[in-house]
Amino acid sequence: MKLRRDPWGHPRGLALVTWIYIIWSLAPVIMAIRFAFNEGRSRTTTQGWSLRWFWQDPTLSVFHDPSLHSALEQSLTLAFFAMLIATPLGIGLALGLQRWRGRGSGIANGLTLLPLVTPELVFAVGLFMLFTTAFKFIGLGTTAQVIGHVTFSVSFVVVIVRGRLQTIGSDMEEAAADLGAPPWEVVRRVLIPLLIPAIGASLLIVFALSIDDFVVSQYLASGADTTTVPMRIYAQARAAPTPALNALATIMLAVTLLALLLAYLVFRFSTRGQKGGSAIGQLAGLDARIDAGGTK
Amino acid sequence: MAPRWVWRLLSAPGLLFLAVFFLVAFYAVVAVGLGNVTTQFQPVPHWNPLDWNVGYLREALSNLAPGGQMWPVVVRTVLYIAVAMALTLLIGYPVAYYAARCAGRWSGLILALLVLPFWISYIMRLLAWTNLLASDGYASEALNALGVDRLFNTLGLMEGDDWLGGQPVTVIIALVYGYVPFFILPLYASLNRLDQRLIETSRDLGASAAETFRRVILPLSRPGIYAGMVLIALPMFGDYFTQDLMSGSPNTNMVGNIINGYVQGGPDKSLGAAMTMLLSAFLLIFMAFYLRSLRREQREAE
Amino acid sequence: MSEGKGDIRLEGLTKRFGDVTAVDGIDLHVPSGEFFTMLGPSGCGKTTTLRLIAGFERPDAGAILLDGADMSRIPPHKRNVNTVFQSYALFPHKSVEDNIAFGLRYKKLPREDARRRVQEAMDLVRLGGLGARKPAQLSGGQQQRVALARALVLEPPVLLLDEPLGALDARLRVDLQVELKRIQEQLEITFIYVTHDQDEALTMSDRVAVMRDGRIEQCAAPRELYEEPATAFVANFLGAANLIPVQAHADGDDTALTLGSFTLRSAGSGHADGAAMAMIRPEYVRLEPHGTTGENRVPGMVEEVVYLGFHQDVRVRLATGTLLRADVPNDGDAVEYEQGDAVAVHLRAKNLRVLTEDASVPSSAATGHFAAVSAAEPA
Repeated sequence: MKLRRDPWGHPRGLALVTWIYIIWSLAPVIMAIRFAFNEGRSRTTTQGWSLRWFWQDPTLSVFHDPSLHSALEQSLTLAFFAMLIATPLGIGLALGLQRWRGRGSGIANGLTLLPLVTPELVFAVGLFMLFTTAFKFIGLGTTAQVIGHVTFSVSFVVVIVRGRLQTIGSDMEEAAADLGAPPWEVVRRVLIPLLIPAIGASLLIVFALSIDDFVVSQYLASGADTTTVPMRIYAQARAAPTPALNALATIMLAVTLLALLLAYLVFRFSTRGQKGGSAIGQLAGLDARIDAGGTK
Repeated sequence: MAPRWVWRLLSAPGLLFLAVFFLVAFYAVVAVGLGNVTTQFQPVPHWNPLDWNVGYLREALSNLAPGGQMWPVVVRTVLYIAVAMALTLLIGYPVAYYAARCAGRWSGLILALLVLPFWISYIMRLLAWTNLLASDGYASEALNALGVDRLFNTLGLMEGDDWLGGQPVTVIIALVYGYVPFFILPLYASLNRLDQRLIETSRDLGASAAETFRRVILPLSRPGIYAGMVLIALPMFGDYFTQDLMSGSPNTNMVGNIINGYVQGGPDKSLGAAMTMLLSAFLLIFMAFYLRSLRREQREAE
Repeated sequence: MSEGKGDIRLEGLTKRFGDVTAVDGIDLHVPSGEFFTMLGPSGCGKTTTLRLIAGFERPDAGAILLDGADMSRIPPHKRNVNTVFQSYALFPHKSVEDNIAFGLRYKKLPREDARRRVQEAMDLVRLGGLGARKPAQLSGGQQQRVALARALVLEPPVLLLDEPLGALDARLRVDLQVELKRIQEQLEITFIYVTHDQDEALTMSDRVAVMRDGRIEQCAAPRELYEEPATAFVANFLGAANLIPVQAHADGDDTALTLGSFTLRSAGSGHADGAAMAMIRPEYVRLEPHGTTGENRVPGMVEEVVYLGFHQDVRVRLATGTLLRADVPNDGDAVEYEQGDAVAVHLRAKNLRVLTEDASVPSSAATGHFAAVSAAEPA
């Protein structure tokens, strides 16, 4: 009789599917990055190695082509302001909602969750209509773009911070109050320090969402100087003359991954000697992303 | 404990912000969609419900209804998304299952690799495919060398050998590629939470591996599947850029492209707003379903 | 060491959560310096009562008086009571020293005094040398001590303890019980202690209140509570109890109990009349050779003998049909009775108590050390 398959063995078929999927999902991006380092002008075949399309080329490189580096600047500007505004708004909202029981809390909760499941197109059309009609005094442009980015990222901050508040529990606050700390001191000496990992994760998520955003940025743009990196890529992807576009995308990705690394280090540092949670998972906002399931 | 007003005060700025830029913004869509236009075709929103003009909404409805001008687009959109979702389930489930339950010492690395696409801009991921699927791109050449294009041609899924030249297959696969990560992660989470002892119990009670999967694992991971499905269906219905970058041909237009065309392009912004209203109403069903399950989970967590 | 006297009085204290009345009009007086315990199954309202005293919950009615002054409307951070949490609630981002010093900041003490008091508190709970550690680097018992020191350093007249030993293993729990009692006696402050563990309650307390459904079922010293429970609930919750349905009628100072064709005497317990429950603890049930006659003896048959190490649990079916448990100490000799043996069961008059209240045995009674054997158990 033939030896039966080992019932405790590794499911090789599943492993194969998984690894093929992972290669399929990442290899194209790696190739796109590879083309950014081409010496030649091709974006479809490898042609040697150089940094020509990053800064060496005197006119066509990201560094020297104003249309490319202004997109980079615009993307970073939007991400910076979105972080600066969305994070505190979201933290306040999370702290408030966590305690808010009874009348009005259902509506408030719904209002914070709804943006997570609203397609970007609906967001974008709405804000576009708002800024071209009732809010003409703001109009389209950088301000509108920042507001748009804040609108769709606040909810992510709320989910992350509330998740952390739930882990912390109410005992910490009660203990602090019991020991004589007035409410403000409870927030300052206990809640905020304990929320630092969540705040870090929030900043990171808002940054990534903003950098990644295409639809809202496009609808609320007011011209060439408000073009972001994804908009630039969208406009030229099919017709770009050189790998400079790949170089631009590569820089964006590097910036995001750098932010991820930085946040990870901050996270590790700020939670030294504390138990709980997988550092990477919490930091990557993975928990929150899974919980909230946002797809922005 | 701090008095209640302290907490409401803390949440006030955020709520106000969302109320204005989310709710009022959506109301602006309604006001424009039910408004009028100037002689230069500039939309004139009607903020007062008493002044609402249903002309554009009626036009949008008749356009998108069976027999209407845009009906084929609606059918195409639903078809593309249905196929893309089926493929996503087919690819995503085994991957999520393996990563969550069998990966062993590789689980950390695999999870990191599954999360990685989240940090790569969606547009950049599409850019990568425009490089590879261009007529002289590596993927294009490989596929054609293997005869995949001819196979697809005979199956009627493709015309010619230009993968970026208005091929429905390309658009659907690009949708799958774009949204699979968002499906895998919630499913991963729900499979990861699944109690190993339940599986062992099932086996102990005499169920084979396949039966255990069908009678225990699958029913328990169903909420994760639904959540992931809804999660990718919603943005797919509002997607226009995937189609634009992967095809750009009117023959593969989806509803998102139509709305985008009206709002960003021509003089029919009001019609675009009316269509946005219809799309939102349609998607509200999915959203309500998802929010309900999310709230239930939150309550359980509390 | 304490500033006030630490006399706590609750008057008609009530707290509702939605439709559930968690604390139902409790009246209670805890004099200064008492080790007072609230004992009861989960959901009986003991923790809510403690949280009301601490100020974490707002009472719906009633007053909480500390040394005569109502503090029910004062926020927790201004109340002169401190709490030791079940979860310890140590601040994970602060060292042991900083945790203990946390509340002193609001006392506006000179820096030197504050440091000295932190040191004293650490010595008191025997935590010397661990001041620089983070809570996560401590064992459960050590964390418990930090929580205690953090509250005691503020020298409150009243210390509230919410199941402070609940998360520790049995052996450590016994050690800390002794230590808590020592600290309480040394500092002479009022302890209000919440637990569901009867051993803890009996070991440490001056007085114990047994709670049920938001009310105090009985409040007494441990010995009285165990020997003379007022209700079947108390009898079952503290230790094990045999409950026997009887007809009672007063007979001078005593009570005569009719059990089938037998008449039993209960010495000096209440003035019951009509249907009642007689209660006797398993360890007071004496088994005598078959045929022994005399007062309060009922014939029965051994149904089961369970060997439990330091004692044996003998189950006897009385001639009247009632199943009784007798707790026979293990004195090293072989088992005296076997299954099927006929015996005479002696229910001594002084150990037989009559309970008047509704004798339905609550399921929560099983949280006692021994599962109570209901008299109504079918054969």
